[in-house]
Amino acid sequence: MSKPKAPKSKVKFSVYMKKYWQLYVMLALPLIYLFIFKYLPMIYVQIAFKKYSLVESVWKLPLAKKHGFEYFIKAFSNNDFKYALRNTLTLNLLDLVFGFPAPVIFALILNELCFIRYKKVVQTIAYMPHFLSWVIIYSLALQLLAPDAGLLNMMIRNLGGETIPFLNDAAHWIGSYISFGVWQNFGWGSIIYLAAIAGINPELYEAAAVDGAGRFRKIWHITLPGIRSTIIVLLIMNLGNILGGGFDRPFAFQNNLVMRVADVIATYVYRVGIKGLQFSLTTAVGLFQSVVGVFFLLLANWLARRFGERGLW
Amino acid sequence: MKKKLISLFLASAMVVSMAACGSSGSSSGTAPEPAPAAEPAAAPAATETKEEAAPAAAEEAAPAAEEEAPASELVDGKFADTRSITVEIYDRGNDGGSDPENNMYTEFIKKGMLEEHNVEVTFKKVPRWTETDDINNLLAAGEAPDICVTYSYPTILTYAEMGGVIDLNPLLEQYKSELPNLWAWLGDQNIYWDKDPKTGTVWAVEGRRAEQQRIVTFVRQDWLDKLGLSAPTTTQEFEDMLIAFKDNAETLLGKDASKIVPFSISKDIGWRAANIITAQMDPAITDKDYYINGFDDRMLTEPQTKEAIRLLNKWYNAGLMWKDFALQQDDTVEDDMIKAGYVGSFQHNWDMPFRNGEDGYNANLARNVGEDAKFVAIDPFTNSDGKHAKWLYSPAGDRKSFFPTTNDEPLASLLYLDYISRPDVIKYLQAGDEGVTHEVLDSGAIQIIAATGDAIQNSGKNIDYTITCNGTWFGDPDLAALSLAYGYAGVDPELVSQADKIARTDGLTPKNVNVGTIEAEAGVGDTLSQKRNEVYDNAVVASEADFDSVWDSYIADYLSSGGQAIMDERAEKWDEYFGAATMLP
Repeated sequence: MSKPKAPKSKVKFSVYMKKYWQLYVMLALPLIYLFIFKYLPMIYVQIAFKKYSLVESVWKLPLAKKHGFEYFIKAFSNNDFKYALRNTLTLNLLDLVFGFPAPVIFALILNELCFIRYKKVVQTIAYMPHFLSWVIIYSLALQLLAPDAGLLNMMIRNLGGETIPFLNDAAHWIGSYISFGVWQNFGWGSIIYLAAIAGINPELYEAAAVDGAGRFRKIWHITLPGIRSTIIVLLIMNLGNILGGGFDRPFAFQNNLVMRVADVIATYVYRVGIKGLQFSLTTAVGLFQSVVGVFFLLLANWLARRFGERGLW
Repeated sequence: MKKKLISLFLASAMVVSMAACGSSGSSSGTAPEPAPAAEPAAAPAATETKEEAAPAAAEEAAPAAEEEAPASELVDGKFADTRSITVEIYDRGNDGGSDPENNMYTEFIKKGMLEEHNVEVTFKKVPRWTETDDINNLLAAGEAPDICVTYSYPTILTYAEMGGVIDLNPLLEQYKSELPNLWAWLGDQNIYWDKDPKTGTVWAVEGRRAEQQRIVTFVRQDWLDKLGLSAPTTTQEFEDMLIAFKDNAETLLGKDASKIVPFSISKDIGWRAANIITAQMDPAITDKDYYINGFDDRMLTEPQTKEAIRLLNKWYNAGLMWKDFALQQDDTVEDDMIKAGYVGSFQHNWDMPFRNGEDGYNANLARNVGEDAKFVAIDPFTNSDGKHAKWLYSPAGDRKSFFPTTNDEPLASLLYLDYISRPDVIKYLQAGDEGVTHEVLDSGAIQIIAATGDAIQNSGKNIDYTITCNGTWFGDPDLAALSLAYGYAGVDPELVSQADKIARTDGLTPKNVNVGTIEAEAGVGDTLSQKRNEVYDNAVVASEADFDSVWDSYIADYLSSGGQAIMDERAEKWDEYFGAATMLP
């Protein structure tokens, strides 16, 4: 029954491949990359449940105590981990609240500029911080904001004010951290929105103008709905990252005085796991982080579909 | 055909660029998770076979050696065929220093080892200030040098427990007769310092400190003179002096008055206020109490430390200290302030102002401020017995040399340690050539002079090369004592002698409490050092009213991060080995 069918589909397949093989060749490398660097390492997730040893193969490692959950229990009973978890959430949420709308607003403003050359100059200047590494940004911040030697604080003192602990007091530090994050990213982040705006049919604007819509009406009824799907896709990706986030930014900005609000999971894993060689413990933390990350991703995707958007899949 | 080729080429170029973009884009999000997993992934494969090979070889060699000759492979201390080993060397990245892997001293060692033992030596540099991290990475990757050196015993222990370090005990016993210099220099005390009392394992050999002076308080002599003050002799007088510095900033610094820092510290307060902390310690503290609280070498949990930090807190809030100290990643900014002449006093290594020749603190002050501007040692802090108590270094507790299991040449490596401990080798490495790095004075003392090019010693007394010896030795204790004050190019020997004398006054020698491995200490050393600095730094900058609550809450964090577990296990082990005794036998 199935025998005559098979050659038929085979012919079809080969014809299809003859036509489109270049596409598959193009796809192969990223797939190999994903397989080697993202899927193969997952084998070692089992370290989270085992007592790690440098010289044993992971398959031969003995199971950790408490049915393999020793390191999860250890992590959750550790103050440092709790701080790191809390800080990851708060810092990422604040980033989302302040950092996410900023590029959208910036793109809208740029879009309304008539003087093209001015617009381009502003755009370029706004992109620049994106190309600075966080270590450099922190040393800039230190020169500007340090309590004794910082330029800003010197000015404040000379004007008769009190020193403001921008970097050495928990609450102020969070403010500085978030502000620098927004500053670094809003220009770069706006590119994708500008591209989306450029794709909106100009006839819509003309029609709206004929109907007597002003500038803000146009933004509200044409531009924003036009880039709505872009915004939502980016929001989903950001939400999926709520327990992730970069390593270099918090790491560069940390100092001993603010570690309680500045230590995030990424830096905690680095400090305790890689520097302290507690691989099992931090693999457990990493696994937890990933599982929660997937949960947030699914949640955001579900929300997106509820709002009638396509979501990620 | 051509078209197809071009399109294929373009397609693959695009794929490559896409893959590259993909990696940078996604790595930030997921890097922390796979990174710890991926790293060790490569390691087992690399070390597995060698791990088996090394002990097996040692075991096989042992019986054979006993039957035939005491030292099988060596003829007159030489291998028949040339062996090669790699040796870790610190890279200090000094401005204008010599290449740590290739200079006058490495050539000397290479030549000597080849002639004496037919062993080829290759040096592998590791950045000094991140040595623990770097040696960790090298060990995890299975690429560590055959002879590794670190200050951090917990790092060695962690790897030893994973089976990544060679047990030296059988090797030392088997080859004892081949290693006369090592034994003569280190003695049983340092060689067996870390020997496990139960299992008998020796994971590392402790280098010996020829100088035990540790930390001294320094003050600007010219500032004292300008204000008509004499050197403070009590804590109160020291405080008054700091206040006088602050109040007279205009006199001392003129237009830079706002930059004055009467007392300077870094974020490592436990080091930079060590003598203040030690002076608060109860002189009658029992060995047991000290040991149980002694995991942290900055004395964080010792009973009276809190009161010392309260004093610093008071000074900080009175504006006597620098407010930016905790924000700095390293000491460069503070160094620059000291060299520019804004700092009145500080505590640090006993020879700190004299180090680094032309780039030293005092040398810079003489250039930037004036000939009379200099730091001198003082000794103001006294304990409740009226003694100027301060810790000395123990004769061990310096660099520890160990062999990772990737080392295929344990005997050649031991011979290296032996060679490096030979009196004449130590002397050459420390003193170099006459007329180039030193001069011999009429008294016979060796005066170190500023060297150039390949002869520059990147570390004081070249300690980076004399890994079994730290401090002035020259292979002869009398010559060392005579030459100590002349060990710093261009420095007034009087100042060195004074600092040396103060550093030894009422010095306390640490004791070795060897109760085997404390399991709770493995892997937490770095984390706890970081936590300890957080406790100290936050307590110092707290408002005076909040001091107690800040201290208590940060100490609680420290204890929950592993500090308490260590103290409990130490107490348990003490009881097991010493019973009810509170002092060491």
